[in-house]
Amino acid sequence: MQLDLFALFQIPEQYTVMLQRYAAAMILLAVLIIVTKWQGIGIGHKLIVGTIRGTIQIILMALILVYIFALSDLIVIFGVLTFMGVFAGHTTRSNLERIPGVMRATLPGILVGALSVMAVVVVLEIIDWRSGPGEFIIPMGGMLIGNCMGLTSLVIDRMWSNAQKQRPLLETALALGATPKQATELTIRESIRSGLLPNLNRYASLGIVSIPGLMSGMIIGGVNPLEAAIYQVIIFIMIFLSAMIAALITSRLFLREMFNERAQLTVPPPEP
Amino acid sequence: MPDAPILELEKVSMAFEGKQVLRNVSLILHHNETYGITGPSGCGKSTLLRIVNDLLSPTSGSVRFQEKDVREWNPQELRRRVVMVPQEAKMFPGTVRANLVWGLKVHGMTTEDEQLKAILREVQLWPIDLDGNAENLSGGQKQRVAIARALLLKPNVLLLDEPTSALDTDSALAVEKTINSLLSDHQMGVLIVTHNKEQAERFTSRVLELENLSEAS
Repeated sequence: MQLDLFALFQIPEQYTVMLQRYAAAMILLAVLIIVTKWQGIGIGHKLIVGTIRGTIQIILMALILVYIFALSDLIVIFGVLTFMGVFAGHTTRSNLERIPGVMRATLPGILVGALSVMAVVVVLEIIDWRSGPGEFIIPMGGMLIGNCMGLTSLVIDRMWSNAQKQRPLLETALALGATPKQATELTIRESIRSGLLPNLNRYASLGIVSIPGLMSGMIIGGVNPLEAAIYQVIIFIMIFLSAMIAALITSRLFLREMFNERAQLTVPPPEP
Repeated sequence: MPDAPILELEKVSMAFEGKQVLRNVSLILHHNETYGITGPSGCGKSTLLRIVNDLLSPTSGSVRFQEKDVREWNPQELRRRVVMVPQEAKMFPGTVRANLVWGLKVHGMTTEDEQLKAILREVQLWPIDLDGNAENLSGGQKQRVAIARALLLKPNVLLLDEPTSALDTDSALAVEKTINSLLSDHQMGVLIVTHNKEQAERFTSRVLELENLSEAS
């Protein structure tokens, strides 16, 4: 019956197979939502919205990717990366909507972290981007932006929740004359460390446990495996550096949201 | 001629979300003076200390330290000179030594172990394992480490929020004695908050009794 409908609307067979696969993936999503609800993790709504939004975004991106990959003007390419960075900043704000001033702190961090590292890579020609500027710079830049987004979100979430849960310790530090930066140093350090941990694990098990997408894609695309492997190591280093820069900038900027000019804590106590 | 006051509060009022906690509180503290602040639970005693330490700004009134409004002081410099020991003595992760020097470190100052031992003797906490985990100390020991940590900064004013609330009677009396001897040794003013009026009268030269404004209204 379903296939008849596809035939009726003259949907090519390759799309019907694809839609059936997508529907099968939705069963897995339903299982995931049930498990998160059962465990009280409370991210079901975000998963549904994220799936719908993500599907639309990635389809649109796939449709325009052909044109983006064909880009050769570096200014336009970095313009596209800036747009992606702005969207990443907006995403951090949506995911941490209970916390004020998130985007003011994450956006500069993500943009400076990802774009500066990408710019150095381009200028020093650490990757051979000249054969296809858009093809190389945009996916790699996207990876950096995605990782910067993840780490900056985590740092802000930790700083805020620590300021709420460990308020007495934070005020003890301030009462001894610590600056907001000194008082939150430990929290920032720990959140950067734990935020980088998943990537550090992947880095340590590179090629044995994890076979990264970029390297696989390059090999499938006909690139020499040795070259693809070296690119993957370079990408990891770029990810760590850009995420670290983004996290440090974001954490410094976010202090302005947590403390006023008299270095008084402005984070409200947790709601009972 | 009496010396200039080290700390002056003039008509300090504080309200949180429209709820009045303090109204027109005034006091003057001199060097080598212990001033007690007492009153029922919820009357704003701790809030008052937090205002003096500039962790909170009053809704009206002024706080002057060494004849200068606290808002004119750099907050870190003010808090080095007017140090508060909160009611709940919190330890930073690490050793007893790391906790003792925490305040000095943030101000770029250092000290020798001999000085640590001397201050620990003063708060009657010597001998103690300086390399032991501070989190493993008892409530009373933590309280003394917190006082020693504050004293190492050589403050002009020491703010003590219920310094004996976590201690048994004997320990509380010992801490009172310690603070009294510290007062003469360190040439500073002490503002001490306690819910125990008897303790305030026994231990301090002047007592300010606050009332619970939410109950009074």
